[in-house]
Amino acid sequence: MKNSTKTEENGAIYENLRLELRRGCLIVAVLAQLKTERYGYTLRKALADDGLEIDESTLYPLLRRLETQGLLVSEWREEEKRNKRFYKLSPDGKRILKQLLEEWRGINASLEQILHEE
Amino acid sequence: MELIERYLQAVGFWLPARQKQDILAELSEDIRSQIDDKESELGRTVTDTDVEEVLKQRGSPVMVANRYQPQRSLIGPVLYPIYRLVLKMAFLFYFLPWVVILTCLSVFMPSYRVHAFDSLWMVIFNIFTFVTLTFALLEKYSLKSGFLEKWNPRKLPPLRANRIKRSSSITEIVALVIASAWWLIFMSSPVIINRPELRIVLAPAWSTYFWSVFILMLVTCAVSVANLFRPYWTVFRAYVRLLTDCVGWGLFAWLCKMDIIAEITVRNVPAEHTMRIAGYINLWMGRSVPIIIAMGALIALFDVYRIVRIKNPDVPVLGVLTRC
Repeated sequence: MKNSTKTEENGAIYENLRLELRRGCLIVAVLAQLKTERYGYTLRKALADDGLEIDESTLYPLLRRLETQGLLVSEWREEEKRNKRFYKLSPDGKRILKQLLEEWRGINASLEQILHEE
Repeated sequence: MELIERYLQAVGFWLPARQKQDILAELSEDIRSQIDDKESELGRTVTDTDVEEVLKQRGSPVMVANRYQPQRSLIGPVLYPIYRLVLKMAFLFYFLPWVVILTCLSVFMPSYRVHAFDSLWMVIFNIFTFVTLTFALLEKYSLKSGFLEKWNPRKLPPLRANRIKRSSSITEIVALVIASAWWLIFMSSPVIINRPELRIVLAPAWSTYFWSVFILMLVTCAVSVANLFRPYWTVFRAYVRLLTDCVGWGLFAWLCKMDIIAEITVRNVPAEHTMRIAGYINLWMGRSVPIIIAMGALIALFDVYRIVRIKNPDVPVLGVLTRC
């Protein structure tokens, strides 16, 4: 009984840490995918095809937040007889994506080094 | 497809009016794209069961709508620790004195007992509302001014030496609360025992002693509560402890000199015998005064040593005293 509670606790801790780790990475991934203009559904599929599943209730609020921050621009357009909202990186978004990628590569290199030292 | 419309309507209920249409249009488009994909995958048009499955997978309307809202809190993580501390202090310095006042009123004015609990609830409600509202306003208007960033490392509190065990403070508080209640209920009258077989009456000096001891208990209890929340000795609290110890032992010595037993009546025992017993008790209490003063002085010495150590941490530690 005690062991199963401990396992559940560890599972919850792992899940929280995993989500925390993913959160920042998802932003970079979304920005990177939007170098090419896409609408929400195709963006989600593109991310999933590259191995980063993201549910719609996370993706759309994130897109809105990034747009409010000026990193994305969007426009409603008709495609296949349906109105769709297309997103792409703004000039500010491009600049910030470049900085974020540099930061991410730096962190990644440091982590690799730390892991090799162990 | 009516299910989708109902789902969108339910999500829309929780969305802010300004963004509602925009969010719903995008959400609607996303659901329809997913349904299109599902139809291609199944090779047929979707049924209500398929749509239900898609919607269930997306989550409840309120949860979906909440994701679009910014995280909101009345008191944010920066102010929250200060809020908790202020709430504790308010309970300590406002609620506890009220508890004592209302307890006294209930003991001495039985008619007030019914109202005492109502008053207590009002006190709790007032503290909580006032402190919470103040901090909510601080969060809304003052946090952006960066007042928390204006600090000076040199003004940080000194290192916390002379720690007090929390278990000691809790034991003290519990003991003092029980002792105060017992003191109030059973010792307030000079007729200490009033049974048919035995009656003991104390001298009028008892009244002075009774109230002085009660006030001392309250002060000591306040110091113990302060020690619980701030578990290290400060010079002020150490002086208060020295003062209460000196006054307490001084009062006891004074009581012993006051011929405190005024009357003892025992059934079937002649009055002259009981008077003699009362006289002996008063005599031996009077003779024990030097011992009481010596004990009080010893404890006062411990208290003085504590003050010296707080003021000068280089003074060597005596094993017993560090645990006091």
